[in-house]
Amino acid sequence: MDSNKTALISVRNLMKGFGATKVLRGVNFTVLPGEIHALLGGNGAGKSTMIRIITGAVRKDDGDVVLASPRGGIPKIAVVHQELALLPDLTVAENIALVHAASAATLVRNRSQAARAHEALCLIDPHLAHHALHRKASELSMHEGQIVEIARALSTGAEVLLLDEPTANLTAGETERLFVVLRRLATEKNIGIVFVSHRMKEIRQLCDVCTIIRDGMTVIDALPLTHLSDNEIIHQMGQPTERSVERDKRVLDQAGGGVVLRGPETSVPVLKGQILGLAGAPAGPSRLIAVLNGTAANADWEVDAKDWPKRPTSPRQAVQLGIGHVSGDRRLKGVLSQLPIVDNVLASRRVREGRHLVRGSERDECLGLVKALKLKAGSIWDLPSTLSGGNQQKLLVARWLGMPLKMVVFEEPTRGVDIGTKREIYELIRNMAGQGTIVVWWSTENVELLELCDEILAFDTEGRAKGLLPQDQFNEDALADLTGMAA
Amino acid sequence: MKTIVKAIAMAAAVLVAQGAHAQDKKFTVAYIAPSLDIDYWQWVAHGVQQKAKELGMDYVEYTSENSPAKQMDNARVAVTRGVNAIVIGPVSSTSTPPLLNYLAQQKVPIAFAGIGPQPGETKFTSSVTANNYETGLAQGKYTCELAKERGGSEVGMLSLPQDRENAQKYLKGAQEAFNANGCQLVQMLETKGLTINEAVTQANDLLTAHPKVKAIYGMYDQAGTGAAKALATRGLKGKIGVTVADGSPTTIQLLKDGAIQGIFFQEAVGQGMDATEQVYKALKGEKTTQNMALVMPLVKAADIDSEDAKKVIARVFPQ
Amino acid sequence: MTTKATSMTSNDKTAPPPKSPSLLSVYRSELAIAIACVVLLVGVGFFVPAALSSGNFANILQASAPLVIMSLGVLIVIITGGIDLSVGSIFSLTGMVTALAMANGFSDISASLAGLGVGIVFGSINGALITLVGLAPFVVTLITYAVAASLAFIVTNGRSLGVNSPDYWLFNSGEFIPGLPNFILFCLIFTVALEFVLRKVTAGRWFYSVGSSPMAAYLLGIPVKRTRFAAYVISGTMASFAGLLTVSYILNAEATAGASLMLQAIAAVVIGGASLSGGSGSAIGAVLGALMITIIQNGVNLIGINSFWQGSVTGLAILVAVLIDRFSHR
Repeated sequence: MDSNKTALISVRNLMKGFGATKVLRGVNFTVLPGEIHALLGGNGAGKSTMIRIITGAVRKDDGDVVLASPRGGIPKIAVVHQELALLPDLTVAENIALVHAASAATLVRNRSQAARAHEALCLIDPHLAHHALHRKASELSMHEGQIVEIARALSTGAEVLLLDEPTANLTAGETERLFVVLRRLATEKNIGIVFVSHRMKEIRQLCDVCTIIRDGMTVIDALPLTHLSDNEIIHQMGQPTERSVERDKRVLDQAGGGVVLRGPETSVPVLKGQILGLAGAPAGPSRLIAVLNGTAANADWEVDAKDWPKRPTSPRQAVQLGIGHVSGDRRLKGVLSQLPIVDNVLASRRVREGRHLVRGSERDECLGLVKALKLKAGSIWDLPSTLSGGNQQKLLVARWLGMPLKMVVFEEPTRGVDIGTKREIYELIRNMAGQGTIVVWWSTENVELLELCDEILAFDTEGRAKGLLPQDQFNEDALADLTGMAA
Repeated sequence: MKTIVKAIAMAAAVLVAQGAHAQDKKFTVAYIAPSLDIDYWQWVAHGVQQKAKELGMDYVEYTSENSPAKQMDNARVAVTRGVNAIVIGPVSSTSTPPLLNYLAQQKVPIAFAGIGPQPGETKFTSSVTANNYETGLAQGKYTCELAKERGGSEVGMLSLPQDRENAQKYLKGAQEAFNANGCQLVQMLETKGLTINEAVTQANDLLTAHPKVKAIYGMYDQAGTGAAKALATRGLKGKIGVTVADGSPTTIQLLKDGAIQGIFFQEAVGQGMDATEQVYKALKGEKTTQNMALVMPLVKAADIDSEDAKKVIARVFPQ
Repeated sequence: MTTKATSMTSNDKTAPPPKSPSLLSVYRSELAIAIACVVLLVGVGFFVPAALSSGNFANILQASAPLVIMSLGVLIVIITGGIDLSVGSIFSLTGMVTALAMANGFSDISASLAGLGVGIVFGSINGALITLVGLAPFVVTLITYAVAASLAFIVTNGRSLGVNSPDYWLFNSGEFIPGLPNFILFCLIFTVALEFVLRKVTAGRWFYSVGSSPMAAYLLGIPVKRTRFAAYVISGTMASFAGLLTVSYILNAEATAGASLMLQAIAAVVIGGASLSGGSGSAIGAVLGALMITIIQNGVNLIGINSFWQGSVTGLAILVAVLIDRFSHR
């Protein structure tokens, strides 16, 4: 990196507290034009708070934030989140043109709108520009949506692009294409790119330098990635580095309590206490999961087991049967955002056990679970929004912990969760299986499936079941081949 | 395309048939009410209908839902339909000029019942209204007498919204009567919802703020009912006088029970009848009276069963 | 809802288990409204001393009773993230149906039950159209609002009806418990029962869950549709009950009786700390909101401010309440 380049973003000794808790205790962060900068840190380390201060959403307590454009003035910063921020009912052209309308009274001119959108999209993906301009945003794939968002951000003249886990929902091919675009933006347009991710492999593939934040302080400040080993990075993030190499010695109960999942041209027997991984793009696994948790409208899967209906008709029936569900989509499918933690944790128990009154003993029950999960919470009467993302995810797992369950369905439970918390969640999954619960676990990260599962059912990008891998045939390349997704 | 032609043809046929209908000398009178959620306008409707029947006219009814635009539409629809004359309770006085211009063009006679046209307008057959000022004067005088009888001079008033012209006239008359007879109006509360429940609350608040009030002037029927209810709850029935304008079966019953001391009847049915008679005369080419301001007759508890009272009540609401 | 931060990390195993939040912290915003009510009353008393007489307190309680009960019903719907615009019309129609039934020789009790039936039926229609057909609550209750309002005119041709049954007033003003008029008793019973249900009964927590995050609640096995349906039936029934109470009080039924109440009830719920986006609110808050609106009306009348200002003053009160709520949660 040229040291004589002026930094687009320069953060020095940034401080921020919310109430009694100090979230930032001295953060340094520098972004130069034309670099791809990995921003790393565990959940709750302070990454998102820093980003919100830089974008002006939150006020700082102390420290310096200097934003300087080589063109003079303040550089435009565009943030692209994991969840898309496109208006689903508008076309791609409208979505892009929207940010250019000078005022609310600006007339909508279709022709010029399309031209501008086309121009913006051509910069990064001429193919998409050609085909998708007049499609609704809701019809796009995740990857296409992300490209549109990036194009929109750049078309406003953004000089810094902040990508928050952009690859979480992408297939291997899509990820590769996105990276090509990003590299070109950095080298050709001299744009500063900040890349937030938990995927070590991608970070190595894409980024030049990295900054690591831990407990509100910068521990690694813009060090070239070549200077750091994976283990050093994980260590600096404050995560346990040891990987549980030896698999646990669960004895699978062959006798009974197992089920057979029957799908189109597939039949998967699952034993009690077995962990079945589902790998691949969302289409296939989500259809199977919908059948298991009772949300399927018209299903191509069914469950074959004693004392079970072929398909639960509602999530309520599923829960009452003893089928739990944990989703990585915390905002929509997980947390009851306006209810205190205690209600969030106990909601499933109340349904499963048909409790009619809120018992006094539920407090201790909840405290026990919170402790067992090492949930970092101020008080169990606080709202879940006071928790970090990883802790919210643990909260969702707590709902099903220690209950006699027949099955738990995990839907990307580690999405947007740091490595330390991931490890804890793996442990919980293993414990549940150890107690004889069938675990069905969908993840887009093949590595974690390979590490924990007894069997993996792979789906291709069209949603077809492509094959069942037993443990002795586990192999990253084979799985990537079957699913078309990289880990 | 064919269906549209057919539809137009059919519509034309209907119009022609109606026109033909109008030819055979049977007049139709339309009554346009400002709204039908107040008993009063239904009673006017009853009067119009009754008189029309008596005079051998057909009767149709429209509601303006308190909207001047809807009122104008109603008039146009009525004229299109071949109506010969209109009796109207306008949404407001100020809403009338465009309506009158239109009807004058169409040469359709129009009479007002209950609320008159905007002052200065001349293009109408007749305006049959209550004489609010005179009634205010009379009711004010009587209310003051009631207060004096009960050993006080303070009176309270439950008023219609003072943005209404009739409410302003009532108040002007009442104020003059209070001053002339040595009473003080210590508080006036205006209604919004015109419900009894609201009037009860207001009467209670009035009496809390001014415990020396000895008589309450109720400007509309629900006010009298509400005041009587509030007094009954406080055990003050008869100890504080209540007068009310308008009159209804409810307030007549309260009058008989001694909870109200006097009703100034607004002759709703009578206004409808008189207005209908005026437009009929106009159609026949007879002489009409343009301004008929009826003073509202007072009926006291003692007279309620007299023949005169019965005649008055027959012109108030349908029996 | 913030209590002292008692850290629950794995490290401090010695830390004592945290205490449940104190009543003061749970009902903090309710306390603020209660204080505001007292301040308002005292303020009015400064101009009109009689405002602080027991007679005036009785007036305020009587005037607020129907609004209190209606607000409690609306609260449930608002907690589930819905809205009920039909309550005012249900209130009116209930009165008309009851008075009409009595005029046709039904006993007090069967006429009242018929009136209550109005709320149950309309509440069920609301609930069914919203949960089974999937229409938006605003649209559905706008429809039933219009239908019930027009039915209130239709049943008696727009005429108001007197109630001649000699004992019917006892329902509102009698005293099942000597010294405690029934209308206050009813308000107390409903408030306490609802507060208990909302806090301590699983189904009560469901109202919040559904309003907070419907999809998450559904996946948790909470019967979302049943819960929302129940909310509208409760709301309709409470509106009917409020209607009966008013008829019993003034012994008259009017087709426009409830017209102004719907917005007041929603305002009361909002003043009481509930969010229109669902998931929050309390029974005690809604009751205090209703009381505050009544105190404002009472004060405006006592001081003799033109009653057209009532709306503005109430609007200001809502603004202040919402602002307090917003800043106390920062």
